[in-house]
Amino acid sequence: MSPKAQLGGIYPRSEQLIKLTRSYDRAKTDLDTVKKQIEQDTLELVKLQDDSGFETFSDGAFAWQDQLRPIVESLDGVTTGTRYDRWFDTNTFYKKPTIAGEIGVQAFEPKNFIRADLLPRTKGWKVTLPGPYTFSELSENLHYTSQSDLLSEVAAAEHEIIKRLKDAGVSRFQLSEPCLVYRPYREQALGKAELDNAFAALRKTVDGIQAKFSVHTYFGDATTILPDLLKLPVDTVGFDLFETDYSKLKIETTKKLALGIIDGRESNAENPKWIAETATRVSKHVIGGDVVLVPNSDLKFVPRKVADVKARALGDATRLIEEAR
Amino acid sequence: MSKLYPVQEIGSLAKPRWRTKGLTQPLSSKDLVEAEEWAQRLGIPDFQDRAKQLLAAQEQNDRVRELLELSTIYGLRLFEQTGLDNVGVGGEQQRVEMYEHVIRGVEGMRVLGHVQSFDYKYFNKAVAESKIYRKHPIYLQEFLDVKKNAKGQLKVPITGPYTLVDWSFSGHYSGGRTSLSLKKQKQEAKREAEWIQIDEPAITTHPEPADMDLFVESWNETVRGFNCKFSDHTCYPSEIGYKVLAQYAPKLDKCTHLALEFANRDGTSLGVDAKHREGYRDLEYFIQNGYDGEFGVGVVHVHDFSGHVPPGSGKEVGRNILESPELVRDRLLYAAKIVGDPAKIWANPDCGLRTRTWDVTFAKLISTVKGAELAREASR
Repeated sequence: MSPKAQLGGIYPRSEQLIKLTRSYDRAKTDLDTVKKQIEQDTLELVKLQDDSGFETFSDGAFAWQDQLRPIVESLDGVTTGTRYDRWFDTNTFYKKPTIAGEIGVQAFEPKNFIRADLLPRTKGWKVTLPGPYTFSELSENLHYTSQSDLLSEVAAAEHEIIKRLKDAGVSRFQLSEPCLVYRPYREQALGKAELDNAFAALRKTVDGIQAKFSVHTYFGDATTILPDLLKLPVDTVGFDLFETDYSKLKIETTKKLALGIIDGRESNAENPKWIAETATRVSKHVIGGDVVLVPNSDLKFVPRKVADVKARALGDATRLIEEAR
Repeated sequence: MSKLYPVQEIGSLAKPRWRTKGLTQPLSSKDLVEAEEWAQRLGIPDFQDRAKQLLAAQEQNDRVRELLELSTIYGLRLFEQTGLDNVGVGGEQQRVEMYEHVIRGVEGMRVLGHVQSFDYKYFNKAVAESKIYRKHPIYLQEFLDVKKNAKGQLKVPITGPYTLVDWSFSGHYSGGRTSLSLKKQKQEAKREAEWIQIDEPAITTHPEPADMDLFVESWNETVRGFNCKFSDHTCYPSEIGYKVLAQYAPKLDKCTHLALEFANRDGTSLGVDAKHREGYRDLEYFIQNGYDGEFGVGVVHVHDFSGHVPPGSGKEVGRNILESPELVRDRLLYAAKIVGDPAKIWANPDCGLRTRTWDVTFAKLISTVKGAELAREASR
C-alpha cells in the first residue's frame, strides 16, 4: 500500500475571509478586497498541500457559495431563486436549483470552478462537482416529465462542463454522490431502477473524456452499492469510513479506493497514527487496488483551523505508511 | 388573542452599526447620526439624554449596558411602530446570535471558529470539551430591560436544547447525542414571562425516530413545571422536515403554537388555492396528525431574493422582495383554509429579519400588518 492524500470539495474560509465577506455583504468592503483574500486563502491551501506532500491539488473552492451553485450558474434552464434548503444533516444550506426549462450549458469561465492561475503547474488539479444523481435529487424539477430524462440531461450538461474544465487543465474530477447513500429526506428507498438510472448518468457524465474520475459517496453506508460503483468507468471510488461498515467487505478491484478517513462533521483532529493504522486495516479488505486518503466530505463544516489540522494529518499519515513499508 | 391574524415578530433584527461598534470602542457623536435619524422615525423622545450618557460613559461596562438597553428599546419601538401584536424581546439586540449567545454562557463549551451557514452568513461553532453547566444568566438582563420598556405583548425566544447540541461538536459527549439540560436558562425568562418561544431549527435535521424521540424528550424536560405559553419555532427543515415534525408535534408538552417558515418555499403570484400556495401545503401534515394548536405562518421571506414578482405581489428591491399586503393576505387565507380555523393563524416573517436592513425590515413588517388586516376583512 502506497497511499496518497487528496482534498476535495469546499474547504472552510479563513477567519479573515469570513470577516471580509461579512463586511462585503453589509456593503462596507469592496469586492476586490474579498477577491484578494480569496487568492490568499487559495495560496495558503496550496502551500499546505505542498508541505503535506499531496500530488493532486484542490483550490479549496473558497468563492463557491455552495456545492451546487457554480454548476447552476453555468446552465440554461436552471435557476436559483428564493429557496434555501438544508445540506443533508448539517447546519449549512444551499440554494435549491429549479429546473425550469431545457438544460443547456452556457459559455462560462473555468475560473468559476477552479483557480488554475493559483495552482502549481507541476501538480495535478482536482475539481469536485456534485454527481448528476445528487444534483438532480437536490433540485426542484418543474420541466422534465421523468427522473431518467432529467438525469440524462444533467449528465450531458456536466459532461460538457467537465470537457471544458479538462481543456483548462483540470486532470481529476471528483463526482460526489451522497444521495446514493444518504436519503432520510426521501421516503422511498433507492430502488434498482433508480440506481440503474443514476449509474447510467454517471457513465454518461464521464464518457469519452480523457481525465481521471472518482465517484465519492458520503454521510451514508456505501457497503451495498460498492460493488456497482466499482463497475463504473472511473479510476477511484470513495466512501465515508465513518458511516461505512468495512469489516465484512472483501473488495477485489484494480481501482483505487478513496477512504473518507477524516471526519468533516466533527472537530476532533484525527491522529496521523490512527489514520495510518486504520487505512492499513481497511486495505487488508482490498485485493488489487490501492487506497487514497481523503476527507469523508467537504471540510467546510468545520472551522478553518480545525480543517488545517485535519488536512495536515492526512499528509502525515501517508508518510507514516510509507515509512512502515 | 381575540383578533384574527395577529402579527408577531419571530427572532432577531440586524444590529445597528452604533450598537456593534459601541460594544468594543467609545462612540463619537458622528457614530450616533444614524441612531438619531431612527430615534425620530421610531419616536424615542429621550434620545438626546441617552446619547449624552452614552458618549460620556467612561467605563466600558457602563457604555455596553447603556448600549444594550438602548438598542433593545429601538427594536421594541420598531416592532411597535409597524403595528405588531407581539414584540418579542425587541429583536434580540442583546444576543450575538441565537447559538453563540447561549454557548458563551455555558461552562465546558469552547468556541472553535466560524463555519458557513449559507452564502456570507456564518456561525461560531463550539465543542463540548467537558461536562457542561450554565455559568451565568443568559437571558435575564434582556428580559428585565424588555419588561421595563415594552408597550406591547412580549414573547421570550430561547434556543432549544436539541439545536444547541446539534450545532455543536460533541467532543466530551462523543459516542452519544446528549441533550443539554439548560432548563435554568429558561427559568430566568420564566420570571413573569407569559410566552416562551423555543427555537429549534435543527429538529428534523436528523429525521430518524431516535433523534426525534430525543428532541421530544428534551422539549418535555425543558417545559416541565412551568405554566406559561410555549411555542416552537422551526425553520428551513430538511426536505421532509415538516412532515416528520408534524408526527411529533402532538407529543410536545404545552406546545400550543408552531411558528413555521413557508414564504421561502412559496410562489409569488396571488391566489388562495393549492396551485398558487404550494409552499404552504406542509400545513396539511400537522392537521392530519392531529395537532390542534395555533400556527405562526411565515408570510414574508427573510433572505436574499432573486426571481419573478408579478404585478400586485410586491416588488424586488435590490436583493430583497418586498411582499405586497395582498400576497401576505392570500398566504394567510390559504393557511386558514388548510387549518380550518382562522383564529388559529398568526402572521410572522419566516424567521428573524437580521439579514435585512432596518428599512427593508420596516417595509416587510408594515406589509405583514396590512396583509393581516386585509385577511381579517376577507374573513368577515
